[in-house]
Amino acid sequence: MSTRPIVAASPEALQIVTFDATMEARIAELLPRYPTRRAAILPLLWLCQERFGWISPGVVRAVAARLGESPAFVEGVVSFYTMYQTAPPARYVLQVCTTLSCAWCGGRELVAHLKERLGISFGEKTPDGVFQLVGVQCLGACGEAPVIQINDDYYENLDIAKLDAILDELAGRS
Amino acid sequence: MEPVLLRARGVSDSRSIATYLAAGGYEGWKKALGMGPDAVTKEVLDSELRGRGGAGFPTGRKWSFVPKDHPGPRYLVCNADESEPGTFKDREIIEYDPHQVVEGVAIASFAIKANTAYIYIRGEFVRWARILEDAIAEARQRGFVGKNVMGSGFDLDVWVHRGAGAYICGEETALLESIEGKRGFPRLKPPFPAVVGVFGQPTVINNVETLACVPHIIVRGAAWFASIGRPKNTGPKLFCVSGHVNRPGVFELPLGVTFREIIEEHAGGVRGGRQLKAFFPGGSSAPILTAAEVDTMADFDACAAAGTMLGSGGIIVFDDTVDMVDVADNVAHFYAHESCGQCTPCREGSDWCMDILDRIVAGHGRPADPDTLLRICRFSSAGMTICPLGDAFALPISSIVNKYRSEFERRIASATPLPQKKQPVLPWAGPCPGFGI
Amino acid sequence: MPKLTIDGHEVEVAAGTNLIEAARAAGVAIPYFCYHPYLTVVGQCRICMVEIAGQPRLALGCSTPAADGMVVKVETSERAREAREAVMEFLLANHPLDCPVCDQAGECLLQDHSMREQGSEFATHMTETRRTFPGYERRLIGPHVVQNQNRCIHCSRCIRFTREISGTAALTYKSRGNSTFIDTFDGSAFDDPMSACAADVCPVGALTVREFRFRKRSWKLLSTPSVCPGCSIGCNIFIDHHERVVYRFTPRENPAINATWLCDHGRFLAEPLNEQAYLDPQHRTGGQTIRVGWGEALAGIAAELKDASGLRVVASANLSNEELFLARELFGRHLKGEIAVPVAPGEPRKMRNGKGEWLHATDPHANSAGARRLGLDLVDGEGLSRFLYGGAGLTLLLDPGAHPFLASPEALQLLRVGTTVVWARREHPAAHAATWLLPTPSLAGNEGTFTSSAGAVQRFAQAFAAPGTVHRTATGAMSPSCPTIAVPWGPPGEARPLWLTLTALARELGVPPLDLASPADVFALMARKDKAFAGLAWETLGGLQQHESFRERQHVG
Repeated sequence: MSTRPIVAASPEALQIVTFDATMEARIAELLPRYPTRRAAILPLLWLCQERFGWISPGVVRAVAARLGESPAFVEGVVSFYTMYQTAPPARYVLQVCTTLSCAWCGGRELVAHLKERLGISFGEKTPDGVFQLVGVQCLGACGEAPVIQINDDYYENLDIAKLDAILDELAGRS
Repeated sequence: MEPVLLRARGVSDSRSIATYLAAGGYEGWKKALGMGPDAVTKEVLDSELRGRGGAGFPTGRKWSFVPKDHPGPRYLVCNADESEPGTFKDREIIEYDPHQVVEGVAIASFAIKANTAYIYIRGEFVRWARILEDAIAEARQRGFVGKNVMGSGFDLDVWVHRGAGAYICGEETALLESIEGKRGFPRLKPPFPAVVGVFGQPTVINNVETLACVPHIIVRGAAWFASIGRPKNTGPKLFCVSGHVNRPGVFELPLGVTFREIIEEHAGGVRGGRQLKAFFPGGSSAPILTAAEVDTMADFDACAAAGTMLGSGGIIVFDDTVDMVDVADNVAHFYAHESCGQCTPCREGSDWCMDILDRIVAGHGRPADPDTLLRICRFSSAGMTICPLGDAFALPISSIVNKYRSEFERRIASATPLPQKKQPVLPWAGPCPGFGI
Repeated sequence: MPKLTIDGHEVEVAAGTNLIEAARAAGVAIPYFCYHPYLTVVGQCRICMVEIAGQPRLALGCSTPAADGMVVKVETSERAREAREAVMEFLLANHPLDCPVCDQAGECLLQDHSMREQGSEFATHMTETRRTFPGYERRLIGPHVVQNQNRCIHCSRCIRFTREISGTAALTYKSRGNSTFIDTFDGSAFDDPMSACAADVCPVGALTVREFRFRKRSWKLLSTPSVCPGCSIGCNIFIDHHERVVYRFTPRENPAINATWLCDHGRFLAEPLNEQAYLDPQHRTGGQTIRVGWGEALAGIAAELKDASGLRVVASANLSNEELFLARELFGRHLKGEIAVPVAPGEPRKMRNGKGEWLHATDPHANSAGARRLGLDLVDGEGLSRFLYGGAGLTLLLDPGAHPFLASPEALQLLRVGTTVVWARREHPAAHAATWLLPTPSLAGNEGTFTSSAGAVQRFAQAFAAPGTVHRTATGAMSPSCPTIAVPWGPPGEARPLWLTLTALARELGVPPLDLASPADVFALMARKDKAFAGLAWETLGGLQQHESFRERQHVG
């Protein structure tokens, strides 16, 4: 599987955000699906995250202005959902499932190994900005435990050897 | 039983509409358009199909709650949030047979006269959101979705709406809030979504698996569906088995087979030659069952009679190496993380349970802890909270405390007191000016 | 109209009334935190649980409409009491023991309800380390509001206020679960013209008012019903004071005008009420300023009035109806003087009433409508300067703050012509032109009525009143001002309200009908003589007779 790395815009670049023609075209597709502009908040945030890599306060302001909401309201929405990144993420975000089946089918060993191999704990990035470690709740793939989601992709039925191979490949590409 | 919902599993190119049509796909949709909404609803009602998302509410009855004379739009929402631990059946359906979902969505929309349907899918399911979008595009291209579907005069739009990481958005009213662009806060009920739903309009929310059953019910009839299982617990069910089994996976079986059969025959039994200790019958929100209870029938009513719930049918198996206190701790972490934070008992209680269980696991349990856990659970369930997430942590945790109390007491008996954090001794900086000391 | 029984009391209420309000009508108090009669119902706090006969689960008082024949048990239900006791335990589990250092103490709903809902034998089972929000314990989030997130009980009243009432939507929840906290966008300043109302609605000390921080314990405060002097909308307020110091304004409920709200501009006019630059009558003659007694001052001014070759009076749209009426009768009718009421436009202000309708004002005066209805001449700055150019023998300046022009060097020059009598409280350039300077108290030392722009005639009571006057304390108890305290209770120094001086002058000048003992008597005369006040009675004005302290204190802090 070739997981695409995240290319995160810098905080400076995301201070003042305007939507270009491509974004506006996507927004024009989205808005007619809902009777309110507010309902486009989650889809528009996803568009922004795909485009910029993360949701900065500048992005929040732009989304709020575009949809006629207060920035505080949009920021409240962003902070509720775990998948919106509010700081520049690493190239590969390793979202490790820590719930029941994964935990008891090797997941905990994977976590220990990752912490050791990468030298970071949950919520941290490696100094080279390649990997970020995040503990997540059930990913809905319990039959293939243990599972790690890397960026958009599910990596299943893992063990330490397989995981090391995946990380080697991703790190090599960087 | 011959597969119904998972018949496309193993078929090459099963996701394409050509494959689906060749297997008789969208015949149900055509037939439903000819039957009319009321006849469709009656068929589903007669099938005794019950919701596969966790609540097990009769689907036909839910559809009939939509007010007949409502002048404005209605909405059909497909709940593809699938975040209940131990549950991975909806993504199985989408992976192999997304058109089955689209067809079910279409028929259900028609039955409640909804011209717009949203498929709310959890944010993590990026691949499966794309699969559904592709299927909808194919269906639109062939005229199964869009304006004046197959010349019937019925318009239908189906949109995929991605969540962004919140288990609570699987609760139907929180899901509606999320579609509306807000934080996923469950709503007070009444009013119920069928009367006041998304955007204030009548809305029916059905699980992916529930909707996947619908085309089959229309094509083969309610009587056929009801012939599988037993009265009020009808139809095929996708059981997810995970944890300490040899063959974890999704198994399509009639409602009412025993958990023993599911775990031992289909999932290959407990792995590594070990013994079954305990299992969640329906996701982690269901009270736990012990090995002695493995002959319980896996259907809605039998599970309820056994003091648990079938829920989503997500079976999590634990062998005899597992410490149940650790399981309770893991469960508490899940719900504390996923609590939306609106209402007092769940917000405070889930966190409090997690703290107590963390402390016990760390070796600093106290004799009062099991009873404190039970008290917290008691006042976080049975109507104390806005939504069932309170019950979702209270029931499993209290069932573990009650059924495995000795494990808690053993841990606590060998516990040591919490280490006191050493406070720095503030140096005396001389007499305080103005106070004469 | 549904008729139902609550704890054995039968009551009939309007259709759609929730059980909290129905219980209130029946004299039963159902506790609440997140409920607020002017905000949407969210049912989040879960403290208002009651038992309804025939229903297996407890019901929420805030979101259950009263139904005919319903039998509700609040205090008489063991199940409901246990549930409320447990909810209190949950709320207090992570709540810091801040009472000794928290401003909210004494007017805190958490204190009040825990006293009621937790039995005397109750002990919490919570022994874990409390969750805290480092960096959010004493955080100034805007010019007037201080946040302590550790105390927050997540009732969402503050958020709902900014979304539904002020419309700024400036506050939001962030994060979720038990790490949820309140914040502004990106930590920016809480920009809202009614920001302090967020601190009002906060049932605990999570949001408090900066200007009031650590200044006075709430149970020491006396609350005197009054009217906001900030603009012509006439929001109802309480002046909260102790020992003749005004500590704050808090909103007083009036569904027709301000519901339970108060804008920041009006609210923070409280502190300036404590300025009293002039304490004694002064006579300035031959370059000297002599402090005199009132007797001498009144005699002197009365003599000037008798001999004056031309009398003009600069009144003010900030004066009470009683004062304007007395001025008109005494100086206008009797002494044939000219009276002008200067008015100037102000900043746009707005307020939301109980129905959610916006009221607007650009009139910064409390009583222009009153002046207009009394038939007085309203003039703008130009008109005022023309009025002063006439060069009359005697000029009376009833309120230097009446118009900005009066602070100008030009006005000072004009006022120096002839004899000028100035009534003043705060430092003002016009005082330098005074031949006679008479000290007046602030709004807190006066009583009377204002007429709002919508035509409502509203009473304001005297905060600094004579011993024996009964006040309502901030915590709702009725308490006579203590006669044993040595601090005098009347207005500061020798300051006397304008109406008192005018009636005294009437006495000196031999005008018995205007020699009245109280503003109430003046009002009675006004009601008889003036069409604008016909049919009104002092006793029934402005809802001052309402003393539903439990209801009010649940909505305001």
